[in-house]
Amino acid sequence: MAEKRLGYPHLGLGVGLRTVHFDHILQHHPPVDWFEVISENFMDSRGRPRYVLDQIAERYPVVMHGVSLSIGSTDPLNFEYLGKLKALAREIRPRWISDHVCWTGVAGRNTHDLLPMPLTEASLKHVVERIRTLQDFLERPFVLENPSTYVGFTGSTLSEWEFIARMAQEADCGLLLDVNNVYVSSVNHDFDPEEFIRSVPHERVVQFHLAGHANRRTHLIDTHDSQVVDPVWMLYRLAHQLTGGASTLLEWDARIPPFPVVHAEVLKAKRHIGTELADGAMWSADAEPARFDVGQEEAPAVETEEGEFPHPLHHIAAAVE
Amino acid sequence: MSTPGAGTGPRELSQLQLWFQRVITDAQGAEAGVSSEEAQRLIQLAPGDLERVITRSRALTAAERLAIYANAYHSRLLECLGEVFPMLKRTLGEEAFDGLAFGYLQAFPSRSYTLNELGRHFPLYLEQTRPSPRDGESVTVDETDTNAALALAVDWPSFLIDLAGLEWAIYEVFDGPGVEGAVLLRNDQVLAIPAERWPEAKLTPVTCLKLLATRFPVNDYYTALRKAKIDELPPVPASAETFVALTRREYVVRRYNLSRLEYELLKALKEGRSVGEAVESVVPLAGPDLDLLAVNLQTWFRNWTAEGFFQSVSL
Repeated sequence: MAEKRLGYPHLGLGVGLRTVHFDHILQHHPPVDWFEVISENFMDSRGRPRYVLDQIAERYPVVMHGVSLSIGSTDPLNFEYLGKLKALAREIRPRWISDHVCWTGVAGRNTHDLLPMPLTEASLKHVVERIRTLQDFLERPFVLENPSTYVGFTGSTLSEWEFIARMAQEADCGLLLDVNNVYVSSVNHDFDPEEFIRSVPHERVVQFHLAGHANRRTHLIDTHDSQVVDPVWMLYRLAHQLTGGASTLLEWDARIPPFPVVHAEVLKAKRHIGTELADGAMWSADAEPARFDVGQEEAPAVETEEGEFPHPLHHIAAAVE
Repeated sequence: MSTPGAGTGPRELSQLQLWFQRVITDAQGAEAGVSSEEAQRLIQLAPGDLERVITRSRALTAAERLAIYANAYHSRLLECLGEVFPMLKRTLGEEAFDGLAFGYLQAFPSRSYTLNELGRHFPLYLEQTRPSPRDGESVTVDETDTNAALALAVDWPSFLIDLAGLEWAIYEVFDGPGVEGAVLLRNDQVLAIPAERWPEAKLTPVTCLKLLATRFPVNDYYTALRKAKIDELPPVPASAETFVALTRREYVVRRYNLSRLEYELLKALKEGRSVGEAVESVVPLAGPDLDLLAVNLQTWFRNWTAEGFFQSVSL
């Protein structure tokens, strides 16, 4: 049995750091438990983004979350990239480093999207070997997130939760359980999200992600541009019960509201995990699990317009006088 | 019939990824991507056979599902380019900008782990694909727009390329190395240099000082556009050789218009020449009134130092 959360701490309720909130955070030092930063936005920065990150890392716990590791690609691991990742980690001392179970490009290209893996024994073996290499290089357990996906492959022989569970066990890595992604993928692939949540190795769940998505009626898109919908909160409640709780983070990447609105959204998690978290006590794993109906969204999910797209990435615009 | 991607070897995974990437990045959309020669070479599929590779869901066909990735690929990167070149996008309008950016993504697909590099070659791409004078109609402008009509009368491609170059330079200065927190050269230190040693002095410009020479006054245009209401465009300026210095203080990019002489002088200093050598190099450009040049030099060096252009001086 792995040590719970691989020994990583429970940081509480955090928010993804976004450029539009830089000034607010530096001026007001809001009482946020922790921040998650997009690693690639800071790895090469020698300007204001890096300055802001240094200020924030001095005051708050920080986690580095990447989008370009491409752990599933058949291209060789990019050790120049990994070297920069490691250097940034040495400097800002994140509590852990994470990325996604996906590939972002092949043959030297980067689509800057989190592309789906065929869920086969061959790709599982491929990913596990690369995670081991990665962890050896970074000298720490890595944490990987389940992405939202929109296609499945006929060649797949494993369910996503089987793939992720075996990957985590065989590579001895942590999991970032994106509850919204589980829900989005469950609708897009017609599976039961509760089965997913119940099937992953709970002791390896280091972190949760929450986010809003868009409902296109025939499918859901992981747009990170709205509030968390009720079915996702219900899944989160279940996940919290099963894992005993883990650091929870809200992502908001498009149509980003003022910081207090984003912060208030993640604080809604308290309603679903009770006061135990604030008191430092763990949720009882024996509690009656939550129930919900797939696709029955009580809170209004955003109905997207044409042209809206999955938004896992965040880009920093320049400040000019 | 074999199922692509179901094999046990890494070769088949590689083949599937190459196919998927080729399909979703096709300029004509995923369906055209599936039919492309390269995709067919990787995974041969007859029309309507896509579900041999991609599963359908209850609500969507395999083609519809694949299209989500294809749409997302272009939409995301077009949005990113629009953030790197906001003034160019406003000037061109969204449709025309996206058209150029779309072509750029085909010619220069991202090969970097960071989106910060995505726009690096855009000015070069605009230069490489600039319409020749006789096919100026290939640039789409709204002829009811007086500004656009005026644009047809000027060297519109050069104006756009210069504006793109300025925006990329701003972007580089913003997130590149800077001198925040460092002690910079002060005017009293400059004044303390004995006059006779001034020619041999070497001024080291700050690492974030960038110089641009443009065919149009795009820096003024940039300023005017930033001040304009969101639905207004300042007039496209007439062509005029102009010079700009960019630097960064307190993590904000600062822009300065320069005269030709100032530009050449700073350029020489950036190349590591001494003050004497730099001044000597601009004398032929200064005209007969060398007294005026001497007065200007004092003013320029004082202003540049006050604005933090120099890191240090060595003798």
